[in-house]
Amino acid sequence: MHVSTDILTWLAVVLTLGIFSFLWKDNPFYKFCEHLFVGVAAGYTICVTWHNSVYPDLITPLFGQGQLLFSIPLLLGLCYFARFIPRVSWLIRFPMAFVLGWASGVAIPAALQADVLRQVQGTFLTPSIFARWDVFLWALISFVGVVSSILYFFFSREHKGALKLASETGIIFLMVGFGASFGYTVMARMSLLIGRFQFLLRDWLGVIR
Amino acid sequence: MRFFQTLLRIDRRIIYLVVAGLVMLPLVRPLGLGVTSGPRAQVLFDVIDSLPSGKTVLISVDFDPASMPELYPMMAAVMRHAFARDLKVLICGLWVTGPGLADRALSEIPPEYGKEYGKDVVYLGWKAGVDAVILGMGENIKSVFPVDYQGHPLESLPMMNEVAKLRDIPIAVIFSAGDPGYRDWIRYGQTRYGLRVSAGITAVSAADAYPYLQTGQLTGLLAGMKGGAEYEILVQKSGYSNAYMPAVAAMDSQSLAHVVIMLLVIVGNVAYFATRKRGA
Repeated sequence: MHVSTDILTWLAVVLTLGIFSFLWKDNPFYKFCEHLFVGVAAGYTICVTWHNSVYPDLITPLFGQGQLLFSIPLLLGLCYFARFIPRVSWLIRFPMAFVLGWASGVAIPAALQADVLRQVQGTFLTPSIFARWDVFLWALISFVGVVSSILYFFFSREHKGALKLASETGIIFLMVGFGASFGYTVMARMSLLIGRFQFLLRDWLGVIR
Repeated sequence: MRFFQTLLRIDRRIIYLVVAGLVMLPLVRPLGLGVTSGPRAQVLFDVIDSLPSGKTVLISVDFDPASMPELYPMMAAVMRHAFARDLKVLICGLWVTGPGLADRALSEIPPEYGKEYGKDVVYLGWKAGVDAVILGMGENIKSVFPVDYQGHPLESLPMMNEVAKLRDIPIAVIFSAGDPGYRDWIRYGQTRYGLRVSAGITAVSAADAYPYLQTGQLTGLLAGMKGGAEYEILVQKSGYSNAYMPAVAAMDSQSLAHVVIMLLVIVGNVAYFATRKRGA
């Protein structure tokens, strides 16, 4: 056992135990740690944004190199703050319109290509899946799962007969999907707990390598 | 029946203590349950392993300290693999909370392999505007990142003379804890510039990533701490690293914790149905 003498490690330990103390019950120590985290996170984000984005990409070109074109994004950005002045709050519509228009134009074709067309393509039974029986089986299950799950959300017709069978098959696939997601979520949360215990046992107490 | 009612009334803090104890125990005294690598980690490993030396691997640090236990070990393992294979590593990030983590990896891993900053590894830093950043990198990396994270002009870094745009990069490994993340690299980097994308993701988002794996949009996948452990094993077995493997060390705890959760789910359901039947 080799307890750390690093003050920063001790600080991290105190804050970790402060957050863990919520498991016992809500308390002022937990609240202090929580508020400290929110404050530090906000401060950190502002600093990194300023030094990595605002200063080099706006302040330097506009005021240091005299590139007047950069005054347009500056003005658009300042319009966001108009929200706090009721008389001119309508100015916020300009940057919002710009961002929505630009982002939609860029995102829709890309998302359609990557998230819709390629996914539909991946669902279809293509000749390459006949190479091996197990690949074919999984592709078939995947195909049935996608079609039946979509049919479950088909509300324009009463679910009876063949549609009922298909939608009930869809529920099975949906439940398997939710189960897999829940299992992975448990795994993720346990990983985070293990990560903290590794810190406490290794970096702080030195009881593990 | 009273037994089941007692089970349903167990104080949650007792459950926390049991889980904490079972997680801590294998960390102090490993059980040696073992970890095997799966096919998804193997695919990524094989791709990186087959790259000719001198090629560049792009690593995007798209996570925050909260996801560090899951994603940092796998990122470190991939970096070690790349350096051991004499590949160059270009690091960037779409998460504002990533720079500190990338900085830590830079200070720890390249020195293990005698790698030099600017020649073998470059950290571009973080920029706001996810899609604009990726699309800009597709055209010209220097237009998005005129200087690196430390403020050096990219022209002054020898490595950046060989990497001008995304098409010069054979594979990008995205360590992603959500959005923005691997999906954005697929949407903009792959769809438009043909970038080969692999991902290391948190377990929470793993189920959402499998469709991209099936379509071939993702080349290999490391999911959660287990994915990290699989890659650490592959790197160590190949003799590329003998560094401490935090994800492998955590697997015994992970397995025990899963057993406890499964038991609790089963016992909870049995107790619920037993008491409900009696009430009816």
